[in-house]
Amino acid sequence: MSSEVRFTDFKSDKQPTWCPGCGDFGTMNGMMKALAETGNDPDNTFVVAGIGCSGKIGTYMHSYALHGVHGRALPVGTGVKMARPDLEVMVAGGDGDGYSIGAGHFVHAVRRNVDMTYVVMDNRIYGLTKGQASPTSREDFETSTTPEGPKQPPVNPHALALAAGATFIAQSFSSDALRHQEIIQQAIEHDGFGFVDVYSPCVTFNDVDTYDYFRDTLVDLQDEGHDPTDYDAAKEVILDSEKEYQGVIYKDENSVPYHELHGVTEDMSEIPEGAPEDATDLVREFY
Amino acid sequence: MTEDLNWAIGGEAGDGIDSTGKIFAQALSRAGRHVFTSKDFASRIRGGYTAYKIRTSVDRVQSVVDRLDILVALTQRTIDENLDELHEGSAIIYDGERSWEAEIPEEATGVDVPLKSLAEEAGGAIMRNTVALGAACEITGFDVEYLDESLEKRFGGKGSKIVENNKEAARLGQEHVQENYDLDHLGYDLETTDEDYVLLNGNEAIGMGAIAAGCRFYAGYPITPATSIMEYLTGRIDDYGGHVVQAEDELSAVNMALGGARAGARSMTATSGPGIDLMTETFGLVATSETPLVIADVMRSGPSTGMPTKQEQGDLNMTLYGGHGEVPRFVVTPTSIAECFWKTIEAFNLAEKYQTPVFLVSDLALSVTEQTFRPETFDMDAVEIDRGKIVDEDEVEEWLDGQGRFRAHAATEDGVSPRALPGTTDAAHMSTGLEHDELGRRTEDTDTRVEQVDKRNRKVETAKEREDWDYREFGDPDADTLVITWGSNEGALVEALDYLEAEGVDVRVISVPYVFPRPDLSEEIDAAEDVIVVECNATGQFADLLEHDTLTRVKRINKYTGVRFKADELAAEIQAKLEAEVPA
Repeated sequence: MSSEVRFTDFKSDKQPTWCPGCGDFGTMNGMMKALAETGNDPDNTFVVAGIGCSGKIGTYMHSYALHGVHGRALPVGTGVKMARPDLEVMVAGGDGDGYSIGAGHFVHAVRRNVDMTYVVMDNRIYGLTKGQASPTSREDFETSTTPEGPKQPPVNPHALALAAGATFIAQSFSSDALRHQEIIQQAIEHDGFGFVDVYSPCVTFNDVDTYDYFRDTLVDLQDEGHDPTDYDAAKEVILDSEKEYQGVIYKDENSVPYHELHGVTEDMSEIPEGAPEDATDLVREFY
Repeated sequence: MTEDLNWAIGGEAGDGIDSTGKIFAQALSRAGRHVFTSKDFASRIRGGYTAYKIRTSVDRVQSVVDRLDILVALTQRTIDENLDELHEGSAIIYDGERSWEAEIPEEATGVDVPLKSLAEEAGGAIMRNTVALGAACEITGFDVEYLDESLEKRFGGKGSKIVENNKEAARLGQEHVQENYDLDHLGYDLETTDEDYVLLNGNEAIGMGAIAAGCRFYAGYPITPATSIMEYLTGRIDDYGGHVVQAEDELSAVNMALGGARAGARSMTATSGPGIDLMTETFGLVATSETPLVIADVMRSGPSTGMPTKQEQGDLNMTLYGGHGEVPRFVVTPTSIAECFWKTIEAFNLAEKYQTPVFLVSDLALSVTEQTFRPETFDMDAVEIDRGKIVDEDEVEEWLDGQGRFRAHAATEDGVSPRALPGTTDAAHMSTGLEHDELGRRTEDTDTRVEQVDKRNRKVETAKEREDWDYREFGDPDADTLVITWGSNEGALVEALDYLEAEGVDVRVISVPYVFPRPDLSEEIDAAEDVIVVECNATGQFADLLEHDTLTRVKRINKYTGVRFKADELAAEIQAKLEAEVPA
């Protein structure tokens, strides 16, 4: 079926309620194109999302999907992948969802290296609650809850991921459609946890981290000759807070995904009609 | 008197109390004797008072009593903690060479055994508890061969040398008592029988039930006293194609289990009070996304961190009402270790048939107590699995709307919608915690909202009609006094009947394994002169429900000391309650 699948097959008939011009349109299009391009179809794809503007993505895409509670999308994705290693699992979240309420889950999902793709739609602001500071907001970014700026440094998600032992770390920009799609594709094809932070501008509440800002400042790591398999080079890029960049930052080519490492390969949805054949062994143990 | 023996070993945590007790319990079980164990432990790794108690009889035993016949005391505190339970026939095994000087109460007989020296003679001081077991065999006239079998089972994996050394240690203990004491006057002579028994606790029964029911995915976070469910499954579920993930916290655990269930695997998580609190956010999501999920709560003393290693049945309201908004669910409450097995299987069936969260509510007393059962109690051939309305590819079409979209939340007559597992062609759909229409798409349309709320609640109504919300009954069915209970109190209550009968008090006992929905007890309550509800909490959460159901005041027996009910204690309390003029 995969050869016939077009990216529009991943589109639902529900019109997005994102603001006109929102970066999330581009982020989602890239995800759908990458899924189609990597040979997936809506029936074998499971998309998990949390809460917020990013969380709406499951509604606008067509696949098996769960729209869960705030910040807990990664554990849901982990459970889906354990039960059905044959499924393509994609988890989407926002910067609040992923780096604030879900930060603990993020770190642990990274270190588990479950074979799924995690896309964070990062607009450096809380959009759906109408403009409060997010974990990636700049230190001096004035918002309704931080009139003088958060006065604390933004979270560096890539550094968090690297420290937790990530096997694939990338950054893309929703407006650079082709590169964004390419990067998501690489994350899907990666054997393990493919983490992509996406600059996905909020045109309503963030007048600092705008399309123009990213277009003007963005450095493509590929143009720079960056070697993503070089851990030290990746570290250097990640810790350089002066630079906005896109591309695959780090990729461990020896990555073994969790399910393979733990021998979780069976389809757990199929079970016998009664107790398993050798279940009496379980009773015998207690003699 | 020799039919019913109460044995205990006590000392500090880290003294090997638990494994010694387990070895003796297994030996008794292998000898065809019934066993009922209880544990007294503190929330610490080393130090503090810890005890393992065994009640054993050729007849079935299902409760602890206020009586101790043989006590292995590794510390003076062990003796002091049990003073009330000692009597003239009690023997206390202690090590006179130890630095503490044992103060043996007048009525009991001290049996001084150089546990440490004899253990060293057998190959290492670590085996001193085994020496004590040998001594106990001699005092009770129990055939040491059974102890040998139990030692083989316990240490077999560590090599034959360790097994042989332990057998030798037991023999030395036995001989020491033989040579230095004449204890025939105590009158112990333990019978053995040819019966086959298995010995297991409630958490093991839940774990075994989960595997039997086809549970394949478990996610949990360690917490006392639920952890041993995860430990049991971790060692075994992989053999059946399953997997356990130790999550980073309870929020993650319940969401992982939700993911597993959503993908089509029978999935489960288990926790205790504080963990249930953390999971609460997700209950509503499980219910509105109509995902079948089993959530076990092994209750301990609350609130807050309360007393982690002590008994209580205080989470009933939490599992019944927890979660914002109105969350349709089932609350199933096993009343014995065997029921822990069967109700776990039922919980999985209910979850999938009705696509709802099912709370399996157990308690600390059930979880740590080991009890003997005939192996056929856990008859695997009798396990039935009902996966509910899973649609295959051929059936998808009848559930599509005019535009070919799958109606995952179709408002059916019985409230149960078709369920398509991922991978089913043309049935891809989203589910959400937001209010949604039949397709799973967000809506705030008033009619659709009402339709979906009614649809979800209708599942419970359907289940009320279709399932058998039965209860268990004991005692005299015509008695004027009706005692109602739930959870682990059943065993003690059943045994209390014997004490009451001896006093000429006839009682009818009803033990309820379902809290929501629950059996309608109006007729039984109306027919009784006195109704007493027994539960391990301070406020009478189950009694409140019954009063609500029947608009009748009931009497209450509540215990919230952190210790489970004992049979004789319960008998006395029931009598006192019947004599009291004013209902309390």
